[in-house]
Amino acid sequence: MSEAHTAGRRRGILLRRRWRPGRAWLSLPVTLYLLAGLIVPIILIALYSVHLLTNLIFPPAKFDLDTWKSFLPYLHEGTSVYFDRFKTSMAITLIVSTVAVIAAYPLAFYLAFVAHRRRYTLLLVLLAPFFVSYLLRVYAWTVMLSSDGTINSILVELGRAKGHPVEWLFHSKFAIGLVLAYSWIPFVALPIFVVLENLDKRILEAAQDLGANRFTTFMKVTFPLSLPGVIAAFVFVLIPTTGEFVAPSLVGGSNDSMFGNFIQDSFVSTTDWALGAVMAMWLMSIVVLLIVLSSRYLTADLRGPAR
Amino acid sequence: MSAAAGRIARGVLSGYFLLMVVFLYAPVVVLVIFSFNDNTTPTLPLAGFTTHWYHIALGNDLLLAAVKRSAAIAALNGVLATLLAILAAVALTAPRMFARPVVTALVMLPLVVPYVVLGVGMLVLLKTIGLEQSLSAVLFVHVVVSVPYGVLVILPRLQTLDPAIGEAARDLGAGEIAAFVRVTLPLIVPAILSSYLIAFTISFDEYAIASFLVPPGHDTFPIFLYSNARTPALRPQTVAIAGLVIAASLTLVVAAEIGRRAAERRLEGV
Repeated sequence: MSEAHTAGRRRGILLRRRWRPGRAWLSLPVTLYLLAGLIVPIILIALYSVHLLTNLIFPPAKFDLDTWKSFLPYLHEGTSVYFDRFKTSMAITLIVSTVAVIAAYPLAFYLAFVAHRRRYTLLLVLLAPFFVSYLLRVYAWTVMLSSDGTINSILVELGRAKGHPVEWLFHSKFAIGLVLAYSWIPFVALPIFVVLENLDKRILEAAQDLGANRFTTFMKVTFPLSLPGVIAAFVFVLIPTTGEFVAPSLVGGSNDSMFGNFIQDSFVSTTDWALGAVMAMWLMSIVVLLIVLSSRYLTADLRGPAR
Repeated sequence: MSAAAGRIARGVLSGYFLLMVVFLYAPVVVLVIFSFNDNTTPTLPLAGFTTHWYHIALGNDLLLAAVKRSAAIAALNGVLATLLAILAAVALTAPRMFARPVVTALVMLPLVVPYVVLGVGMLVLLKTIGLEQSLSAVLFVHVVVSVPYGVLVILPRLQTLDPAIGEAARDLGAGEIAAFVRVTLPLIVPAILSSYLIAFTISFDEYAIASFLVPPGHDTFPIFLYSNARTPALRPQTVAIAGLVIAASLTLVVAAEIGRRAAERRLEGV
């Protein structure tokens, strides 16, 4: 078997003496496509952000860091509304990611250690809502939360709201956080489940043989070993949420726009794209930076059991 | 005592799991219930059964046109993204490859770039080369975001194939391409189907990118749904539309799962 294999290899090498395009060249279409659809657009945004490209007739296109300076408060005196909005959005994102991870961890733990043979069926049950359109899930919450919506009608029936709808339920930061966390919990449970499921159970048994109780085993062994899954989950939420603008505009209040809304606005409602370009570049740099910082864990993760 | 504590812990975890499942399904179930409710507001108590809202929704030409557009873009997106993904995945299984880390990083990059940046980027590109917004532009970017998922599904399947199978085909006289089309390709059909379905779903559901690129009067389905969602007066029929989409997506998921299992059974033992 192995001899035949080597023989095939050798013959392959002999044939390759005559030059023929190898399989590797098949990556050319996708490379060109992504250069055109991803890299070139990002470069163009960068050019807009430093005024080397502009929509305006005046001032003419000329390298200029002014917009960057006015966006980043560290580069000038005073404050920047846009940067403040970035910080608020990052705070919302971090809270949402944390809540989603905390809420999803016990689900993953249940599937990996308690559910036994039913775990894949139950995993599918957990993931199924994720197959319903994101926009629809956000919309479903507007039906639940709005002042003439389902939750308020129940509260009125129960006499809790005394004829007045509960205001903070809808068009609020609470609503944004709730909807975003709701959307990501099933997805967050997945990488944590994968890691827990692949843990070498003998390590856990060893901890208990050495006298650790269940709680100590979890805190000192299971949880630290599951950190790659937790970090992967965290990043999975972070990427889409930082640029989010659908949930804020459907369930958020008029004052609750997130950074993504600001970016969208500066391209859709204004002709000067420089500020929008700066914000888009900034958002992307932060996200890519976070990915690079956590990439060690991301690649260690989905490769299966740690050996 | 420890056994009792373990039982309690298991009970608490099971209870929590059940509670979360209820939480995850509640908004969707409530939506479906109110789509049949004979009242213009989604409030309890229920006011009686009606299919009125469904009749209105299905008579809405704007909705039907939007669904058709989205279905066409999604179907094309499935084909283009899967084709590119197959080529990329085959290339990445090559024993030696120039700049493999760069190509891998490039293929996976769309997964980490926020959609708002991708939408803005294509808008800027169109402007720079003097083109208008168009549905083709939407399709173009949807392929960009779908390709990495295709590669992530197809590449592992290719890597688990025994290289001896392809070699046997070549030893028996098949050319490189014939060996691929007649031997390798049938073996990765389940992965190709998954890739197509994922790409279809991504595109059909995609709002953020499309919002920058859809020309006026040519709404895709998510764009239509979004503008309806912001109009409270349209709520009853929007809820009905939502009910239809939920039914359709669940049917699709179940059908896909059955199809995948059937395909895998057929390939078992290979």
